[in-house]
Amino acid sequence: MSLREMDLNQDPACATQSLSNYLPKDHPDENKWADCVHCGMCLESCPTYEITGQEQHSPRGRVHLIKSVAEGKLELNQFFSEPVFACLDCRACTTACPADVDVGGLIEEARGQVRQAIPLTGWQGAVSKLFLKGIFPKQTRLNKLGGLLKFYQKSGMQTAVRKTGLIKIMPDHLVEMESIMPEIKQPVREKYKNQTVIPAKGETKQEVAFLTGCIMDVMFSDINEATINVLTRNGNEVTIPKNQGCCGALHVHAGDRDTGRMLAKQNIEAFKDADKVIVNAAGCGCMLKEYPELFPDDPEWHEKAEEFSKKVEDISKHLHDTGYEKPKAEINKRITYHDACHLAHGQGIRQEPRDILLDIPGVEMVHMPNSDRCCGSAGIYNITNPEMAGAVLENKMANVPDDVEMISMGNPGCMLQMAIGVQKYGRNQEIVHTVQLLDWAYQKEDGKGDL
Amino acid sequence: MAAVKEIKSKDKHIQQLAAIVGGGRSILYQKEDLLAYDCDGFTIHKHLPKAVVFPKDTQEVAALVKYCHEHDLPFLARGAGTGLSGGAIPLNEEVIISMVRMKRLLSVDMENRRAVVEPGFVNLKLTNSISDKGYYYAPDPSSQYCCTIGGNVAENAGGAHCLKYGVTTNHILGLEVVMPNGDIIEIGKDGVADEPGYDLLGLITGSEGTLGIVTKIVVRILKNPEAKQTVLAYFDKVSDGSQAVSDIISSGIVPAALEMMDKTAIEGVEAAAFPVGHPKDIDAVLLIEVDGISAGIDEQIDEILKVCRNRNVREVKVAQDEAERGRWWANRKTGFGAMGAISPDYLVQDGVIPRSKLPVVLDRINQISHESGLRIANIFHAGDGNLHPLVLFDARVPGEIEKALEAGSACLKVCADVGGTITGEHGVGIEKREEMRFVFTEEEIAAQTDVREVFNPKNLLNAGKLFPSPGRCVEVKKEMKASVTP
Repeated sequence: MSLREMDLNQDPACATQSLSNYLPKDHPDENKWADCVHCGMCLESCPTYEITGQEQHSPRGRVHLIKSVAEGKLELNQFFSEPVFACLDCRACTTACPADVDVGGLIEEARGQVRQAIPLTGWQGAVSKLFLKGIFPKQTRLNKLGGLLKFYQKSGMQTAVRKTGLIKIMPDHLVEMESIMPEIKQPVREKYKNQTVIPAKGETKQEVAFLTGCIMDVMFSDINEATINVLTRNGNEVTIPKNQGCCGALHVHAGDRDTGRMLAKQNIEAFKDADKVIVNAAGCGCMLKEYPELFPDDPEWHEKAEEFSKKVEDISKHLHDTGYEKPKAEINKRITYHDACHLAHGQGIRQEPRDILLDIPGVEMVHMPNSDRCCGSAGIYNITNPEMAGAVLENKMANVPDDVEMISMGNPGCMLQMAIGVQKYGRNQEIVHTVQLLDWAYQKEDGKGDL
Repeated sequence: MAAVKEIKSKDKHIQQLAAIVGGGRSILYQKEDLLAYDCDGFTIHKHLPKAVVFPKDTQEVAALVKYCHEHDLPFLARGAGTGLSGGAIPLNEEVIISMVRMKRLLSVDMENRRAVVEPGFVNLKLTNSISDKGYYYAPDPSSQYCCTIGGNVAENAGGAHCLKYGVTTNHILGLEVVMPNGDIIEIGKDGVADEPGYDLLGLITGSEGTLGIVTKIVVRILKNPEAKQTVLAYFDKVSDGSQAVSDIISSGIVPAALEMMDKTAIEGVEAAAFPVGHPKDIDAVLLIEVDGISAGIDEQIDEILKVCRNRNVREVKVAQDEAERGRWWANRKTGFGAMGAISPDYLVQDGVIPRSKLPVVLDRINQISHESGLRIANIFHAGDGNLHPLVLFDARVPGEIEKALEAGSACLKVCADVGGTITGEHGVGIEKREEMRFVFTEEEIAAQTDVREVFNPKNLLNAGKLFPSPGRCVEVKKEMKASVTP
């Protein structure tokens, strides 16, 4: 028998109360892992465990490692960084967990630690710095990037790149992305820049402020437009606060909590006069609701963040709770619904978007098995972990029913990823945002639109 | 065998094992990568394995086992690692053979009502794969969302519905097993039950991974019952609840499931992720399910309601629809994990007692709780007398682990003393080795280890599990204590 020195656990139990191998700033919250009793109920919910079968790529395995760093058994090195960054942050485990362990929160805190300990260097560092610090937080630069993409599409350059074979030297996942890039239109923040209030059509039932999102407004401004249409049509007076910015989710997911905090403060200030903050991107909505997590040691901002987060509402939930006009025009389509992780697992919103779809005459809903399984988009995960993201997408696409015409969802990241999936696996579904469909139905009712 | 290039270890065994499974992501061997494998669902003892390998088929398993056998390397098989008695913890720096990548459903034979699965196939997935055709796989351990059927075979897993339908062993028709020397054998070929000769299926099932590694399993599948009704009953006194259990059984009804939770358990499940609104001031809740052909179900429900009312039930209700039934079961089946919401750690015990002794045993457990100063929640399969006392503790408080272990052991002693036994479905593993002496003499234990000798003469496969080491009682206890950690 050998219960001897290979037993790593000589540290007394109280070792967990110190920070041990964590850096003092922003260390993971001990109370979060104390909830985990290692039962394993999370295993099958985890897409990366499904693919690898490895404990360290499962929720409880990651929590085990996070705890191990605090116990001094593991250092902040690549053995920690890899499993922690391979997590999709899809939160499916938090739905499955009997003890409500906040795995997502722990992962984000752990990533913050890793980035403090081992800053990204080389190509990854450059790309991350460019996007996370240089572009996403700065709306003007984002708009310029949008302009460039628009130029790329309209000038014939896109055609040229595709025809000349230039595209062949790009990495596969970037090629996939390039090929499904939506047509770039005018951002709503540009369009309404001189208009402080967009009035409700008819009687004003309530005033809401709208978070346009960073990428959303550049890549999917038509969805923002649809959101505004749907809101105003249903008695909402909409304001688009000027100083709002990127929600910071991508930064927090990537372990850059400082920039995350900066953006959080910016948004809390920008929306301080609003009673309600409407969001149409699940990832952003989830982040906004979790702003308090960013200020554990700053009572003043923590309180402001708490207050702010209560005002945040996803568009589908808002419509569901405040009522909306059922469209009269028919959209005769077979549609399936994909639960964005940060809507279903992150915010517990599952039925509301489905109800909206079911309220559109002519829509035939088709069940998608495992509809709340991650698609692999996960913020910029599909750029940083293309291989795993691809495997996750493959599993997802296998669940998309064959005979549907549209896949509806409530998150832009998912929309891009699912579009890649449709193209990659030779499918022909159209990818739509739930609110977009509702807007199309209204348009059709008014004799506009082409559905 | 050629060395695998990307393997950074100079250890020749690692090199060779890597070559068998094709290297790359099919082997873990660096200390940090092994950390997540230092325990299973039983977290009190933690030990690092030598390596973890992920074979993809029976041939690879056989080759790995043969290599370990020839080079005297200790090894063990691991499924999802949800076991509650430490059966997959590498006490001897074992090579862990992880079965999770062998997770295919190989075939379903509706006509003969059987299915063939690989050991890494998750329990609930079998039912999910055949439910549209009106069939299901009966054994339903509460961890069925993620535990593997291979692990179920090793532990002879039970579950809420085993009262009527029997435990895993009653549903196994055939096995392919890699023997501890690497030979591949088949038992119950073609899934024909009851082959003549000794019941080897019965011996392997529940052997806790000490006799061989199962690589293919033929299981029985059942037709969905035509009708199903579920009842929830709240009692102000545990004794009334337990009497109701006895009355239901003696009335001649065989419920599909008959579950009970006590006050502390209710506090846990209500504080956790799947609350259903149980009153917090009751002493016991019963969850009773009957199923079968439609005719007669209503009469059984009427009888159950009558029995409960005779035993002073405070409130009793029948599930109105499948959704409500589902919520009640999710609340119950996530009960262990739910303890995380009211306690940082728990230790679950697994005693079996004659049903009639339930009130006495619960009193004694209460006493143990008072004496140890630790709270004990009770969740149990009341119908078959399988008790799960959950000892709640905080590993960060010095001395609490030892106290929890003592309290757990004392609970098992109570069960043994009233004529019961020390495990119903979780297995002995590491956790209950010493407690085997509560129910077996040294001679009886020796007779069983003699059986193991026949299959596993070198004792390389999952050594140190299931039985106490003969005559080393004191020493082992000391070692156990030394390895106790959060």
